[in-house]
Amino acid sequence: MNLNLDFLTIDVGTILFTLINTLLIFLAFKLILFKRVDAILAKRQQEVSSTYSKADDALAAANSDKEKYAQALAGAKEEAAELISRAEKKAQLEGDLIISEARTEAADVREKAAAATERESVQAKQALQGEITDLAMELAQKIMEKEIDKEDHDRLIEDFMQEIGTEGEQS
Amino acid sequence: MQISDFFRGSPDGIDVKGPGVLLSFDIGGLTINLTETIVISWGILLAVTLLLLWLTKDLKTNNISKRQVAAEWIVSTVYGLVDDTMGKHWHSFAPYIAALFTFSITGSLVSMLGLRSVTADFNAPLAWALVTFVLIHGTNIRTHGIGGYLKGYIDPVPVMLPINVLSEVSTPVSMSLCHFGNVVSGMVITSLLYFALSAVTKAVGVAFLTIGVPAVLSLYFDLFSGFMQAFVFIMLTMAYISNADGRNEA
Repeated sequence: MNLNLDFLTIDVGTILFTLINTLLIFLAFKLILFKRVDAILAKRQQEVSSTYSKADDALAAANSDKEKYAQALAGAKEEAAELISRAEKKAQLEGDLIISEARTEAADVREKAAAATERESVQAKQALQGEITDLAMELAQKIMEKEIDKEDHDRLIEDFMQEIGTEGEQS
Repeated sequence: MQISDFFRGSPDGIDVKGPGVLLSFDIGGLTINLTETIVISWGILLAVTLLLLWLTKDLKTNNISKRQVAAEWIVSTVYGLVDDTMGKHWHSFAPYIAALFTFSITGSLVSMLGLRSVTADFNAPLAWALVTFVLIHGTNIRTHGIGGYLKGYIDPVPVMLPINVLSEVSTPVSMSLCHFGNVVSGMVITSLLYFALSAVTKAVGVAFLTIGVPAVLSLYFDLFSGFMQAFVFIMLTMAYISNADGRNEA
């Protein structure tokens, strides 16, 4: 069929078909391209805003954590200072106690030593007295036992004196 | 054919014909001619649908493919154009504008595949202009009410009625004829050029002009003119409809 319409015709059939085709192309654009791209753009928008809100949340959480840690750190510092001061006080007290104890002990020791010295000197004195008495008694006996001339007398006294000297040196 | 034939007029003549009729049948007294225009439109419809399906295959929110960049660019560009020209409340009109532009430009560009341009058939731009016409008056009635719409015809004075009616009717006529005229004149000029070039080739015996020259001219008449007419058509459609929308007057 080699037929042509006239160069400029108004053909109702062609107009109708063109309208239908235009409608179909419109539907293709609307339902395929625009609908899908709109959906993906909306989804991306949603993702972006959710990412932003997540980032904001994370930032807020990080800030609150930071504050919490700062507080905890300050608390720890305070506690440490308190501990140190407490330990210092305790050490001071203990040191004081030790020193005072040592002092008491030293005083005791000194006192005891003094007492012992006293006692010993008393004992020594008593012992000396006893010996002197004994010697005097002995001398008296000796004198009584024999006649004593002047020379013997002098010798006896000298012996006696010597004896006392050695006794005194010994004690 | 000699080169002198070109000046005398060819015995064959240069015959610019309308679209070929592939099949013709009657439905209830109305003769439906299955013309080249209709069949090529179906091809365009199929190709555009497949292209759109391919463009929007597995869209993702991040790490997107170049294909998706293209798809998003098309959508956002059309949205931007419609929002700028018609206002935000016509946002949902964007798919029609995209469809109209695509149909018009591909309808003109099929000539580069050696097919007859859809838009070189007056009925195609006429159908689109009629859609625009209906949308203009529908929008006008919707925003001004039927009374306000009818009152618009006797504005500013009742004497203006015939002029106003003429002005309204001329809108689709001028739109469709503008589009049709531009495309068909390109087609006619290209036909004339081929005729002239083949006459020159026959006279000279070397086919040096038939290669190159038609390509350059085709670049203007098919590509540039096709793009311009599609763009003008959608801009006029948006401007007229937006103008009829009372919300834009404030």
